[in-house]
Amino acid sequence: MSATVFPGGAGIPSDSGALADAIGARRELVRQSARRSLGRRRLVGRIAIGLCVVAVAISLAPLVALVAYTTSRGVKALSWSFLTHIPTPPGIPGGGISSAIVGSLIIIGLAVVMAVPIGTMCALFLVERRGRLAGALRFAADVLTGVPSIALGIFAYAVLVGPGSLIGHFSGLAGSFALAVLMLPIVVRASEAAMRTVPRDLWEAGLALGVRRSRVVRSVVLRGALPGLVTGNLLAVARAVGETAPLLFTVLGSTLLATNPLQPMGALSLTIYSNGTQPYPAAQEIAWGTAFVLLVLVLALSVVARVVSARLNRQAR
Amino acid sequence: MSTTLLEEVPPPRLTPIEGVKEGLQRRWARPGGRAYAVLRWTGATVFAVIVLGLVVSLLASSSQAFGHSGLSFLWSGTYNATKDIYPTGIFIIGTLITTAVAIILAVPIGVGTAAFLSELAPKWLAGPLSVLIDLIAAVPSIVVGLWGLLVLSPVFARHVEPFLKKIPGLEWFFHGPAYGPSMLLAGTVLAVMILPTIVALSRTALQGVANEDREAARALGATRWQVVRTAVVPGARTGIEAAVILAMGRALGETIAVAMVIGNNNALPHSLLAPGATLGSAIINNFGEANPGLDRSSIIGLVVVLLAITALVNVGGQLLLRRRLRAEGAVA
Repeated sequence: MSATVFPGGAGIPSDSGALADAIGARRELVRQSARRSLGRRRLVGRIAIGLCVVAVAISLAPLVALVAYTTSRGVKALSWSFLTHIPTPPGIPGGGISSAIVGSLIIIGLAVVMAVPIGTMCALFLVERRGRLAGALRFAADVLTGVPSIALGIFAYAVLVGPGSLIGHFSGLAGSFALAVLMLPIVVRASEAAMRTVPRDLWEAGLALGVRRSRVVRSVVLRGALPGLVTGNLLAVARAVGETAPLLFTVLGSTLLATNPLQPMGALSLTIYSNGTQPYPAAQEIAWGTAFVLLVLVLALSVVARVVSARLNRQAR
Repeated sequence: MSTTLLEEVPPPRLTPIEGVKEGLQRRWARPGGRAYAVLRWTGATVFAVIVLGLVVSLLASSSQAFGHSGLSFLWSGTYNATKDIYPTGIFIIGTLITTAVAIILAVPIGVGTAAFLSELAPKWLAGPLSVLIDLIAAVPSIVVGLWGLLVLSPVFARHVEPFLKKIPGLEWFFHGPAYGPSMLLAGTVLAVMILPTIVALSRTALQGVANEDREAARALGATRWQVVRTAVVPGARTGIEAAVILAMGRALGETIAVAMVIGNNNALPHSLLAPGATLGSAIINNFGEANPGLDRSSIIGLVVVLLAITALVNVGGQLLLRRRLRAEGAVA
């Protein structure tokens, strides 16, 4: 890196022949060092890019292995009676997970009924209002997204399940509430983002026609944002379906085909947890089968969400 | 339901243009039906009540434990009639260690993957790989935990942990019997779980760097890798930091998968191969059997500690993300 401009001499040579020689020498020096530097930089680049490829391989390997292994074990456990029968007592072969499937569907359905209207209304508030209050709510939503899901389960326990609370015993509804709180910030932020994609011109055009603001929101904003709303809500559902921690101390789990949301219920994730942690191969088999069902459900929801949002992007273009 | 303009005719003393102006202003000012305003405010109020209710109810249910032992709850925990002491400090240390292992494993791999997907890979490869990783991010933690317990744990016990014990110089980290379930396994499972988050968020940050920066670096003679290292990664630094912090929040708060693979031992781990416990796994394992009163209150105290740690980390991450967005807005 030394800044010798004229090798071997100090100061500027007086006659022009020496100057030309010096310039030539300098050029040669630059050319050589550039060649050396480029070779070195290319080598470093190759090594670094190679390391990045290795990183991709390392990050894909466990993720792909996980999905592939669950699929291979799950498919073996899967059968029609596995999906349509309730669990048998331990030690008795056969049995299925119908109670967990029904329980999960009811719990998630109720959570959606709670979270989506409130979340959409709150998103409308955020879209319509500027200022400190909206900012604070938005921040609260962002922080709530990162709250550990077990905290939401204990919250639901404290409010709905524990002694002296609103219901007072384990119930599917308490699990729905915990999942609704989990989904709420996701729904709020995704819906707000979707509504903001509706051009301001369309709002203004609607209002300029003399249409009531609520009507503009209903037929212009909500309709325009519909694909985004669907995507956001589906992703929230996909996140909630797989949760276990919020259900452990609210839903409790049940091996009976319970459909009353005020009673304890089964859930797919609880079935995986209770069977997977047992040392018996038969129980683990049930856990793998249930894990596969859950995986398919969650991936299907994510894929549908992605397809809807891709369609939205294509329309926008 | 729709109103006509006729209902909104301005007072006659205004000129037509002024009248239209005033009518428009009134329309902007008017929320458009009381029902709609009630709807919006209801949504916002219910949301605010839930957020406040979460904090208040957890603080109230844990007040007995904090009242009993004060701030010493943070390290020594509370007496429990049926077992012994809930050593909060041990759970906090366990949480920090497993998270640190996860971050150390996942960040270099995740950022490297993001750099490859965003900057180096050809488009036909980057697109499908990104979609694949995004989809895998949706895999429920219970499934990751099941895989960690039944597949990864035997592999660790038989191959990985004996190998690590043989590495000279690292005996302090890796000693003791190789069970499988351990702090190391928990950290590895967490790393698998946070990897897609780090990749997705860092990729977004890298893609947000202006193309002019890349072209300028290229014009100065930088190689492809030097463009990434000197122009793109520094430009996306805040975004990558935020990605790491948000992933850290997820690792700190994960419970079920950790409870399945950590071995659940309420003692200070002497090595990464030893079983341990985290705040989350301790809550899961003890809440169900806790007696009402001080016992249960102590465990809700653990929830409060966990909530405080993750909230701190997440607020930090959000502020960082916000600063980046604001900086970008100022430039644009």
